Amino acid sequence: MANLEVPKELREEARKHDMYLTPIAKDTYELFFGPQHMATENFSIILKMDGNRIEKAIVNPGFLHRGFEKLAEQRPYFTNIALLLRICVPESDVPENIYSMAVDEIVGWEVPERAIWIRTVVLEMARVSAWMFWIMGFGNEIGLYTPGQWAAAYRERFMRLFEELTGGRVYHIYTVPGGVRRDIPGDKWLRQLRDTVEYIKSKLKDFDEILFDNYIMFERTEGVGVMDKKFALKHAVTGPNLRAVGVPYDVRKDDPYYLYPELDFEVPVLKEGDSLARVLVRRYELEQDLYILEQLLDMGPPSGPYMVQDPKLKNLPRFKVPAGDAYAHVESTKGDFGAYVVSDGSHKPYRVHVRGPSQSHGVTVLEELLKGARLADVPVILKTLDNCPPDIDR
Amino acid sequence: MAVNDNKVENKVETVEKAEEKKPELPNTKEGRLVKELLEKAPYAEGSVRREKRIEFKVPAERIHEFLELASERFEMLMQISVVDWLKENQFELVYQLWSVSESVHAFVRTRVPRENAEVPTAMDIWPVAETYEREAHEFFGINFKGNPRLGPFILEPREYEKHPLRKDFNTLSYVKTIYGDDFDRYDESKTNYVI
Repeated sequence: MANLEVPKELREEARKHDMYLTPIAKDTYELFFGPQHMATENFSIILKMDGNRIEKAIVNPGFLHRGFEKLAEQRPYFTNIALLLRICVPESDVPENIYSMAVDEIVGWEVPERAIWIRTVVLEMARVSAWMFWIMGFGNEIGLYTPGQWAAAYRERFMRLFEELTGGRVYHIYTVPGGVRRDIPGDKWLRQLRDTVEYIKSKLKDFDEILFDNYIMFERTEGVGVMDKKFALKHAVTGPNLRAVGVPYDVRKDDPYYLYPELDFEVPVLKEGDSLARVLVRRYELEQDLYILEQLLDMGPPSGPYMVQDPKLKNLPRFKVPAGDAYAHVESTKGDFGAYVVSDGSHKPYRVHVRGPSQSHGVTVLEELLKGARLADVPVILKTLDNCPPDIDR
Repeated sequence: MAVNDNKVENKVETVEKAEEKKPELPNTKEGRLVKELLEKAPYAEGSVRREKRIEFKVPAERIHEFLELASERFEMLMQISVVDWLKENQFELVYQLWSVSESVHAFVRTRVPRENAEVPTAMDIWPVAETYEREAHEFFGINFKGNPRLGPFILEPREYEKHPLRKDFNTLSYVKTIYGDDFDRYDESKTNYVI
């Protein structure tokens, strides 16, 4: 056997920086999980391991370093859209919408009905494509690759529709304060969207058979990473993770925005609070989102302008917002996504603070849930919490 | 607070009334919630902004006491936003609370001077405050008394000491000092402009 002993100087240097290159005690060692691990995505967790069990986990974000909040203070209101939407990549329409909603509220605009309809459709399309992205990630973590590849292909259909609507595939820069940037392309696009929704709905059964009703999935998720109701509320866990512990909180129902009060949909709630419950809540929500899209298409887009008619909008770079502040939030697939915008009356925001849902369930909650878990459970807990590192390190 | 007055006057008539004759609050769910909290905490100022949005102003020395009271009705702390009011030489901390049972969002505002800013931690009330406080400490340099994990969180140590989200932190000059000659994107002579 080769001599694996670490040189003394290196060991002392490492200990000075609170790292241990040799086991602290018998069978205890430190393991750096991520950012190179596929499951973590620009994120790292330092695990103190005892054999196969995790003794302690320390979350280590900070691999993105983009400083969007500082940059947003140095750019005009409309330019910020192209910046802030990069916060959450799989669901880039959410930051656009919360920022636009907050600015709309500060200015006091009544957004036209047509724009409201388009914004609701875009948000729901973003949700469905984000579920597809999540199925891909989650399937891969437990070794089921086929549903992930299907999901990626179905997401591609939405990306094509988005490209036709907005000109962008992943980053849309579409929802702007006062409405949307351009009108829907026409009836053909609406027909294509309906076809896509029906197609994915018909494929849900396949997903059930291969992923959600799979023995492997149950074996890997049942009883893993359990949290209770009180813990979840104290840690401000939102979204499907909160609904999996039995709290029926959904921003679309509790603080309604856009067309949601007129739509008929259910908020799925489960009580167990383990990874399995979180997965199943997401499965039911995907079905509800497809149902919402169908309803919206049945409603049809109302006629009228798609952008607010305001003479101030003629000079966009010098567009000034009256002094004030507003907080707007929407329900994303990760949870409650909010933005707090403060204006001092100039043409740039004075402060933009984004509340990413992973700020709460990606740091303290993750550290707590990982305690006592097996090493193989780390990706499962990460993916069922649906941790999005850019929410934390904006 | 001059900045908010403008907006409030435009939007909600009820707040105008409340400011003229202090105790009057609308007879809604929000109004009753504000009244209930103000009865227990007479040192705070409260108002209704609009449906599902209420607002409190609390002096910094009693913020912990107020948050403890508020936590009975507001189960979740959504975030702690810090605004750097450079001209007034103050930091404004906005504790954003959400009540799951009442479906009401509350802004709890407090102001501290910029020099040696210190607030008691809210970790004992909502454990999630730990993360928000680490972030606020790192980006603004506010000291949260009682939080054991204040230190480099997202940033590297050399950035951590500078508090980059403060208004008097100049990103461009910082980048120039760190990257020096390698950074020719913003050359003053504009001969080496990359973008």
